[in-house]
This record gives sequence, C-alpha cells and structure tokens, in this order.
Amino acid sequence: MKAQVARIMDSSITPPLPESMPQPAASIVGISKRFGKTSVLENISFDVAEGEALVLLGASGSGKTTILRIIAGLEQPYTGKIMLHGKEVTELPPRERGIGVIFQSYALFPKMTVEKNIGYGLRIRRRRRKEIKNTVNELLSLVQLEEHRKKYPSQLSGGQQQRVAIARTLAYKPEVLLFDEPFGALDAQTRVHLRREIRALLRKVNVPAIFITHDQEEALELGDRIAVINVGHIEQIGTPREVYNNPASEYVATFLGAANILEGTISRGHVVVGNAQMPARLLGDRFKEGQAVKLIFRPEDVLISKTQEFPTGHACLSSGVVEEISFVGAYERLRIRLEASSGACETSDTPFYLTTETPERSNAKPVICTRPKPETNAFRLRTGDRVFLGLSSFTVLPNDARTSATSQPIIKTSI
Amino acid sequence: MRHVRGFDVVRPLSIWMLIFMMMPLVFLPLASIFIFGTSSGLGNFWAALNAPEAIFALKLSMVTSFWATAFNVLFGLFAAYVLSRYNFLGRNALIVTISLPTAIPTAVAGFALLLLWGPYGTLGRLLRPQGIQIMFTASAIVLANIFVTFPLAFGVIKPVFDTMSRSLEEASATIGATRWQTFWHVTLPSLRGAIVSGALLTFARAVGEFGSTILVSGNLAGRTQTAPLYIFAKFNEGQIEAANAIAIVLALFSFLIFSVLFFARDWLDVD
Ligand SMILES: Nc1ncnc2c1ncn2[C@@H]1O[C@H](COP(=O)(O)OP(=O)(O)O)[C@@H](O)[C@H]1O
Ligand SMILES: [Mg+2]
Repeated sequence: MKAQVARIMDSSITPPLPESMPQPAASIVGISKRFGKTSVLENISFDVAEGEALVLLGASGSGKTTILRIIAGLEQPYTGKIMLHGKEVTELPPRERGIGVIFQSYALFPKMTVEKNIGYGLRIRRRRRKEIKNTVNELLSLVQLEEHRKKYPSQLSGGQQQRVAIARTLAYKPEVLLFDEPFGALDAQTRVHLRREIRALLRKVNVPAIFITHDQEEALELGDRIAVINVGHIEQIGTPREVYNNPASEYVATFLGAANILEGTISRGHVVVGNAQMPARLLGDRFKEGQAVKLIFRPEDVLISKTQEFPTGHACLSSGVVEEISFVGAYERLRIRLEASSGACETSDTPFYLTTETPERSNAKPVICTRPKPETNAFRLRTGDRVFLGLSSFTVLPNDARTSATSQPIIKTSI
Repeated sequence: MRHVRGFDVVRPLSIWMLIFMMMPLVFLPLASIFIFGTSSGLGNFWAALNAPEAIFALKLSMVTSFWATAFNVLFGLFAAYVLSRYNFLGRNALIVTISLPTAIPTAVAGFALLLLWGPYGTLGRLLRPQGIQIMFTASAIVLANIFVTFPLAFGVIKPVFDTMSRSLEEASATIGATRWQTFWHVTLPSLRGAIVSGALLTFARAVGEFGSTILVSGNLAGRTQTAPLYIFAKFNEGQIEAANAIAIVLALFSFLIFSVLFFARDWLDVD
C-alpha cells in the first residue's frame, strides 16, 4: 500500500462546485417540512450543477421522497426556497417548473400506448403532429423500445416500463430530472444493467439529475456527488470518494459501506483504545487531551500480519484472535476479537498508556476485516490464529451522544 | 389414481337443484311474459306495441331515463372526485347521504318530492306564482329518477377513484398538464369502464322505476305515462295484451343491458 498524504477535512464546508459552472441548475435553500406537528425535514440545502447527477442516499423514511416532491412542486415546504436555473419556483405549480419526475412506480398512463405515453408532454403543449412523431421516434430509439411502440404499459417488463417513463420525461426537455428510487422495483441484475444505461443516457442528454436511493452501491455508482440523509437532515454531501473515505459522522460511515467503530480517548497525539494506540499526529489541537473519541475504520483498511512489522503506510493497532472466517465471493471476511488489553503493539516512540476504560468494555467488540484473494492465498488463516492488525486509514470522531456533521470538528487521517 | 366419473354425483345434483329452485322464482315468470304475449299471434303483439300511447310511454321512459342518467353520471363523477381526492370534515357524512336514496322506499321518495315541489310544497308554493309547475310533468319524472338512482353511478365510480394511484395525476402535472388536461387525458380514460357500467345500471334502474314515478307524474296517458305506468294502467283496464307487449320490450331491454354489463366487463376494463 502506498503511503498517502495525510489530510484534514472540515466537513462543515461543502465541496465547492466545479468552477466552470457559474450557476447551479437547481438550488435547494434551507428547506424544512412538517406534516401536521411532525417535522420530517430540517434545513435541507444543496446545489445541483449543470449536467451533474446528485444522489440523495438515506434509509427508508428519512425524507428523501419528500425532498423530491418539494422540488417538483407536489408538496409545499414549510420554510426555504427552491431555485431552478436561478429562478425561484417555490410558489409555482409543478407544470410550470420544467422538471421531470420518474416516479418509483413509473406512473405510466395505463390507457395509452408506449408512443402515446412518450408523446404526452408534447401533445398537451399542442406541438405539431410531425414534431411529436419525430421526437417520439428519436426517443424510442434512444431507449431502444422501437418494437414496443404500440404496446400498453401493462404488456412491458419493469425495466422497459422504466425506460418509457424516462423517454416520456425527456420528450418535453425538462431542465432537471428527478428519480425516486428508480430501480427499487427491479431484480438485482436488471437493476445494475439499467443504472449503467441510465448513467450513460444522462451523460448523452446532459440534463442534471437528482436520484433517490437507499442502496449505497447504487449511490456510489450513479452519483457525481452523494448527499447522505439521516432523519430529515443532510449528514454529509460530497463526491462518492469523499463520502466513503472521509465519512463526516458515524452514521455516514456505517450507512455507506461497513465500518468498525472502537471507543477510545485522546492522549498525547494518539487515539488510545484499551491498551492499543494509534498514532494520530494530525489531530493537533482539535481534540482535548483525554477527550472521548471514536476510532472508525473500514474492513478493507485493515491489514493482517503475523508479526508486528507492517509495511509503511500502516500502523499497528493491536493483536487479536481470529474468531470466524467467511468466504464472500470476491473476498474473505474475518471476525477478529481484539486483545487490546494485552496485545498492544510496541512502538518505539510512545510509552505504554493505561486508560480509564475497563478492558472488558473495549475488548468486547470484535472487528470485521476483509482480505482480497491474493492475500488470502499468500497467508492462510484459521480460526483461533493470533494475528496483528494494522490500519492503513482511519477516521476519528468525537464520541458524543449525537455526532453532528455540522457542529463538530472531524479528523480524517490517512497514514 | 384416476378420478372415476360415475362417482361424482354431487356436481350434477347441485346444478340441477339450483336450476330447479330458480324455475318458479325467476325463469317461469319471465317465460310466461313471452309465452302469453305471443300466444295470440305476432300480429296482435305488434299492433299492441304500435299503439300511440304505448310508443309514447316507451319514448318517455327512454328520454326521462336518459336525462336522469346523464345527470347522475356527471354528478357521480364529480362527487367521487371530490370525495376521494379531498379530505375534509363531514366527508363520511356526505358519502352516507349520497348513498341514502337507494335505501328509501321509492314511494317515500316520490312523496318527498311532492312535498317539496308540489303546488303546495315548500318550494313549489314559491314557483307557482311564476307559472312554473314541476310536478305532473316529464321534469318530475326526471327528478324522481334522479332521486332513486342517485348513488348508483357514484357507487361504481368512487371505488375506482379510490384505487387509482395519485401518482398518475401527479406525473401528468409534472409533465406540464393543467388540471383539466390531466382529468381529460389521464383520469377519465381510467374511469371509462366505471362510467359505462354506472350509466347502464342507472339507466336500467330508471327505465323500470314505478313507485316514485306514479306519485309525481300524475300518470296521464300520452303525457306523463312511462312504460311501467302504462303496463300497470293497461292491466287495470283489463287489456292484458297491451300490457304484455310493453312488458316484453322492457324485459328484453334489461336483458340487453345486463348482458352488456356482464360480457363487456373485460372490454370495459382493458388496459
Ligand atoms: N403526506 C404525508 N403525511 C404525513 N406524513 C408523511 C407524508 N409523506 C411522508 N410522510 C412522513 O415523512 C417521513 C419521510 O417520508 P419520505 O419522504 O417518503 O421518506 P423516504 O422517501 O426517505 O422513505 C416519513 O416518516 C413519512 O411517514
Ligand atoms: Mg421514498
């Protein structure tokens, strides 16, 4: 593994948009929403650049659909405003916003053929027959449904229906596309296939899009940027790389990919977990001495070794005992119980630290790590083996009852 | 093991039993209309049908039923839209009220209309000085028909509205349609089946209406006498053949409507 330059990221600053895009295609400014007395959205703000695909990622019930419906004008926000291409549309009805919505259920008109569905937006705009026909033909070939033009939606497969829904939306040239869980109703294979197709299609038509999903894999693949939503607020917004590698909160770390979380404290530039300690020089004065923190690292950032010697770019965390090995197709997954009280790595530059935490508590948590095939073959492991764990990258977050992305300093360290 | 045919006696037995029970209750009464009506020759039957009063009664029935149907279908559509799209205080009370007229005996319905629109009725009293008379005219028959068939179309259309996904209308709105365009192009086509069945039901029921009609129409032959009233009047006068001829027409007519309702169900609901 290559040594990387350590970075400190302040997540309260959202990554700037590319400079070539002077004005965002859509700006969502301080949106909140209540249904009766329950607040479902709090102060949601984000921009979508021209041609960009933004993914709203969140668990079911987190408020994603509500955000989309507010942008589309199907729901009124309690506070805040919606700007599309610099024009405020908060008060406009859906039909005057120039947006295209692809509904979760596709919402194709059941009594219209594929052709009629696609041409609908132009028919109600009273375009010429010739123009409608040409546009419909173009779109039919774009979504590869030429031979299904005379069929009714009920005669099509889920994937085909969705392509009709997209074509129907593209027909009237909307300025922003909104997709609500577009692949929710499809089987795993079609889903992967279709999302690549849609990604390519969007690049071709160059319309900015907002996708909604609860599927992290989908979010990583579809989004130029991802906004992680947790119970009505944005936890973090950034490129897939940023959000995955530098999670701004425990929620983001665990929702987007798997993460190990160990509780520890700060002591002399180190994160101390039980008797183990990770050098974290870059913490600087962001954390107070003795402050409770969480050490977060991804299963694939763990390197397993027989000895305490690790290649550069890794720091030894602790020793541990392999509890379980499972084969998960492309890689091997290990559950390792840390021996943090006795198995701390000896490091030359730091003395041995005792923490106030009882060993039981900090030891109780097993960590999960994954190993790619070549590594598995080079160094076979069995349950019960004693190994050393090194980390190539980890994140330190303050250990509060509620870790908020906006109010707390967050440190990301790559070794 | 193969099923032995001879042992399955329950099946034919049940079927024959069903038919046997229906014989005196349904089949024979219907059959006797046709047997009796044609017993003195088709010529007589034809002549009875061609009597001016008979023709008038049939026409009046059709025309008044048509207007009542037209009104109730439009009203049912509107009421179903309002009551399934908007949630408001007293919504359920309104739904119950709309459905009430079917539960009221038709004679009571006719009587109620008389009390309201009759020459000395609550509203009729005010209209009389203007020279407006509603009772004992064709309008009264339409009013009575509207009243007794009020919830039929609504009852068929409302459930379709309820199950129709809101997202279709929302999709149409985001695509750029006005409320009216959405209703016309998206909502209405999905209701086609319900509208046709609702209309047929209403019409069939209105054509056969007797109890309320006889009270509000005045039963004047050639002026306010509908087909069912004509049958009743001729029967009272002892002109069984005349009554029978119209009875046959009405019976055939309802057969027709219910066959359409039954066999066209699939066609009406095609996607
Ligand atoms: N029309 C509504 N009335 C009341 N509550 C609603 C309504 N729509 C959504 N909610 C509530 O708002 C929250 C967010 O819903 P939604 O935006 O659909 O979440 P998601 O799409 O992320 O699953 C949920 O708790 C849901 O119950
Ligand atoms: Mg949703």
